[in-house]
Amino acid sequence: MQYRSIKKEEWDQVLEKLLISHIVYANVADEYGQDYELLRSSDISKISYNKPKPATSLKSFFLPVKENVTSETRPDKPRIIIGVPNCDVEGLSLLDEIYLDKDFEDHFYRIRRENTLLISSDCFGIQEHCHCLTYNIRPYSLSKSDVAVISIDGSIIFRVISEKGEEFLKTIPGAMPLNDKSIILGIEKKQKDTESLLTEANKGLPDYKKTGGIVAEAKREVWEKYSARCVSCGACATICPTCTCFLLIDKPGFEKVKQLDACQYPGFERVAGGEDSLFKLHNRFRNRYMCKYVWKPEKFSSLACTGCGRCIEACIGKINKNELFREFA
Amino acid sequence: MGSNKNIYKPLRAKLTEVIDESPLIKTFKLVPEEEFAFKTGQFIELSVDGIGEAPFTPSSSPQITDKLEVTVMKTGYMTEFMHNLKPGAYMGIRGPYGRGYPVEKFFGKEVLILGGGCGFAPIRSLLYNLIAVSDKLRKVTLCYGSKTPEDCIYKPYISVLRNTPKFEVLRSVDKATGNWNERVGVVTILLDDVKVDIKNSLAVVCGPPVMMKFGTMKLLEMGYPEHDIYLSMEKNMSCGLGKCGHCMMGKYFVCKDGPVFTYDEIKDQPNIWD
Repeated sequence: MQYRSIKKEEWDQVLEKLLISHIVYANVADEYGQDYELLRSSDISKISYNKPKPATSLKSFFLPVKENVTSETRPDKPRIIIGVPNCDVEGLSLLDEIYLDKDFEDHFYRIRRENTLLISSDCFGIQEHCHCLTYNIRPYSLSKSDVAVISIDGSIIFRVISEKGEEFLKTIPGAMPLNDKSIILGIEKKQKDTESLLTEANKGLPDYKKTGGIVAEAKREVWEKYSARCVSCGACATICPTCTCFLLIDKPGFEKVKQLDACQYPGFERVAGGEDSLFKLHNRFRNRYMCKYVWKPEKFSSLACTGCGRCIEACIGKINKNELFREFA
Repeated sequence: MGSNKNIYKPLRAKLTEVIDESPLIKTFKLVPEEEFAFKTGQFIELSVDGIGEAPFTPSSSPQITDKLEVTVMKTGYMTEFMHNLKPGAYMGIRGPYGRGYPVEKFFGKEVLILGGGCGFAPIRSLLYNLIAVSDKLRKVTLCYGSKTPEDCIYKPYISVLRNTPKFEVLRSVDKATGNWNERVGVVTILLDDVKVDIKNSLAVVCGPPVMMKFGTMKLLEMGYPEHDIYLSMEKNMSCGLGKCGHCMMGKYFVCKDGPVFTYDEIKDQPNIWD
């Protein structure tokens, strides 16, 4: 892989200019934590490089929570998102399979994908619930994003990933080819260290395939036990990088508003006649696990859980899916 | 670069006639503003402006592309508004969606159709199609059940079928009234009267979930192989595009992978009769 390097101060000046020509979002850290924010000049110094992970996932950049899908699409300024962890990059693969499906391509989604440059960020360090590696997702991007960024010793290092990323870096004269092998070896060492942390933290947690088996075999008592503290708030699905179920709402003039929905909400599968196969809480709770670890893997090639752990962090009932998986591993 | 075709935008269709089929069921005749072709068994998303949208399988012939008919039972919020619509109103249509009946697989065979209530709607479309290819079929038997004689729909069409060579119609009602002189009981009792060469036959089932369940069980008992029983599944399809997730039945999106499935395709999926 090719690397390029630029002084941190110089990169910050490049960002200043990019704010004029592009819509730039970045993983920004403040007193409340870190999340994707619309980047302002005053926040450039607060960009969080190489620290896992923004509080929310990447999906709403491509699938807004609510949008009128019968309106015309307006061309936006090109968009750059900086500091995307690889769990979020990988989460887009399933979205691509669903929304760029050749039979019914969602052109709103495609235009946003084409219009966005993804600058991923290698994770050096982990958070409490990070478990990407358990599902074979590395804590750094080698594909699917455009450029990966590493902040190291007053420099910003770019790993060139896609052609789009290469073209972008050509527009930054200060980004010089990096030939110092010791720096690249240093980055690889940090990547390995993060992997070791993930392996150590997730000992005993079954891999994706085994998890599918556990979920498929789990009896009703298991779902009743683990859903006992669930209040159907849908936070797990809302924050998940790969949960994208939605509802179409009709507005006058045959307009349709597409709004994010979740199988955790009562009535998700209810039909007009009143039948509702997900009426019971434990059935709804199980549905999400079955969808992620059993059904989606049968239908799609991309993972429906990237091990980001956000569903565990977001749950107000403190339900931890990994406790369930460990219990039956 | 893909096209910028909007998959969510409906086509406008003018309502030209509303036919009362039964106290709860009406047929809506629609003329879309553009030609609209579908395969029998495929469904459309039909919307009442500003009120809601729901999936229905057209009940008209798939050979007609300048107009279509949809038969709808008053069941919920959207269908109640729909039942109040008058000719001249405009509705929205998206589709057609999903996998319909594989009519070419029926060639050279006897077709046994089991229908209940408003489940006759997709079946009527199938029957129009089967009549058009009847020279390639051995025989078609329709077993149709409804609650009462008043709930029987498509009465004029039943007469047409009964006068069509190779087509036979058996009917039952749960509760007889007036001068009903056909069978009384649940629709599956009609299967006891059917003479069919099961080895050279296949079955089609469409109706309310409970009827689909017991109909399928009875067909299995009769000796129909699981892969020869075609079921038209009903779920809460919202987008029709294999995206919104509302109609997931295990690994299947009913809207895209169905709505017509063979029993062996779906028997291991959860909640198929709910």
